[in-house]
Amino acid sequence: MRRTPFIERVRLFGRAGLDIVEALGRSGLFLLHALVGRNGTGSSALQLLFKQLYSVGVLSLAIIIVSGIFIGMVLALQGYNILVDFASEEAVGQMVALTLLRELGPVVTALLFAGRAGSALTAEIGNMKSTEQLSSLEMIGVDPLKYIIAPRLWAGFISMPLLSAIFTVVGIWGGAMVAVDWLGVYEGSYWGNMQRSVEFQGDVLNGIIKSMVFAVVVTWIAVFQGYDCEPTSEGISRATTRTVVYASLAVLGLDFILTALMFGDF
Amino acid sequence: MSSDNAYAVELKGVTFKRGLRTIFDNVDLVVPRGKVTGIMGPSGCGKTTLLRLIGAQLRPTSGAVVVNGQNLPSLSRSELFDMRKQMGVLFQSGALFTDLNVFENVAFPLRVHTSLPEEMIRDIVLMKLQAVGLRGACELMPDELSGGMKRRVALARAIALDPQILMYDEPFVGQDPIAMGVLVRLIRLLNDALGLTSIVVSHDLAETASIADYLYVVGDAQVLGQGTPAELMESDNPRIRQFMKGIADGPVPFHYPASDYRRDLLGDA
Repeated sequence: MRRTPFIERVRLFGRAGLDIVEALGRSGLFLLHALVGRNGTGSSALQLLFKQLYSVGVLSLAIIIVSGIFIGMVLALQGYNILVDFASEEAVGQMVALTLLRELGPVVTALLFAGRAGSALTAEIGNMKSTEQLSSLEMIGVDPLKYIIAPRLWAGFISMPLLSAIFTVVGIWGGAMVAVDWLGVYEGSYWGNMQRSVEFQGDVLNGIIKSMVFAVVVTWIAVFQGYDCEPTSEGISRATTRTVVYASLAVLGLDFILTALMFGDF
Repeated sequence: MSSDNAYAVELKGVTFKRGLRTIFDNVDLVVPRGKVTGIMGPSGCGKTTLLRLIGAQLRPTSGAVVVNGQNLPSLSRSELFDMRKQMGVLFQSGALFTDLNVFENVAFPLRVHTSLPEEMIRDIVLMKLQAVGLRGACELMPDELSGGMKRRVALARAIALDPQILMYDEPFVGQDPIAMGVLVRLIRLLNDALGLTSIVVSHDLAETASIADYLYVVGDAQVLGQGTPAELMESDNPRIRQFMKGIADGPVPFHYPASDYRRDLLGDA
């Protein structure tokens, strides 16, 4: 096999860098056009938003609730097994609540959202592109960024923090089921320690801020990948994969940065 | 807006490149107002690209695309969307909205761009569907329609707002003989009755020549020839003659450029 000359490799590396910068610029303009300026869809804007809130938010409820319960249960079980060695099993409620509020609620919800709703958004928009529905909208004089993209973006921005809150609540409830009902931790300690140690601003608010940031990033990646994909079945499949991979990596990377900013001692 | 202009669409020195490939090289083309203009050429010569340039879905690398007196590449995004309300496009695939039924697909432009009462929208939609012979299919979803029916619904949707310019992208592909005859007559009738300007992009020679007032033959990134169908049939240009008469051997190659056939099969032996 012919070896690629060094200068060619440098060129390809530079090309890849330029492509990334170009895609970032394109996605920035895409977000700006979708969210800023006159809507043009008139009174149907709210209707479109509600439809998307249903498909992006309500239809994600099942996976969020089931995952939340199991993660809360596992956390309580693991926490109890560790804490019981130090006779501190009464603190299991506090541990479950803080873990869910600060980390697992926003992060796991974002990962599940990317897999369930994000991939669906990419595939749906990609399919609209390949069947010329987006072109057709343009030629009817309707901006697809306002009519198709904006409601999906707003639906993601609104529903993910709510899903994250639901995930956390059912997780804490799942934890109580295992710790209190199954392992016999005193109910008053479970809820009392939790109430005493959880701060609204430090824990609840920071968790909400995290989930809002993740909501923007995951939904943005999902709709952009769909809009920017190559309009073939292979292109849509690659874009869907990219959505899940990029969104997951972005969530985990941003989580570290946000955690460092919110809870790090600098 | 200077819609008094004799030409609805003017392409002036348009060059369009995709990557390193030149699709159009300094092309000049005008579409007379109120006429049916056919744009013909072999597959892959850029006919659909030409429609997308006229619809401003693509920007030319250089040159001007003037529609109703306005140079499209110089318009802002919102001006462009306003401009497109004067145009209708029939896409090759139909491009119906898959989450809306036939009635709602045709009603869509009316709902978005007008504030007509529901009864009037219903009447207009039924009239448009009647014109394409699909009033009885108004409750069906797009996935319940054949390819030809989808295209006819898309035509009803394209004329819903009574546009000034109507563009057809390969309208005759996949139509059965009955639907084909109806569609050919319909394009002519719509053009004359509504005073439209129609642009038909197609490689179906007989059908396009039978309704077009003026024809362009494109190929090799150029306009190879233009004139009335009768003039082009009598053209001396060997490329145009080959296309108009459907001859396999001629200056337009049937085969994609390839290495020597004998060597490909037998190797160097």
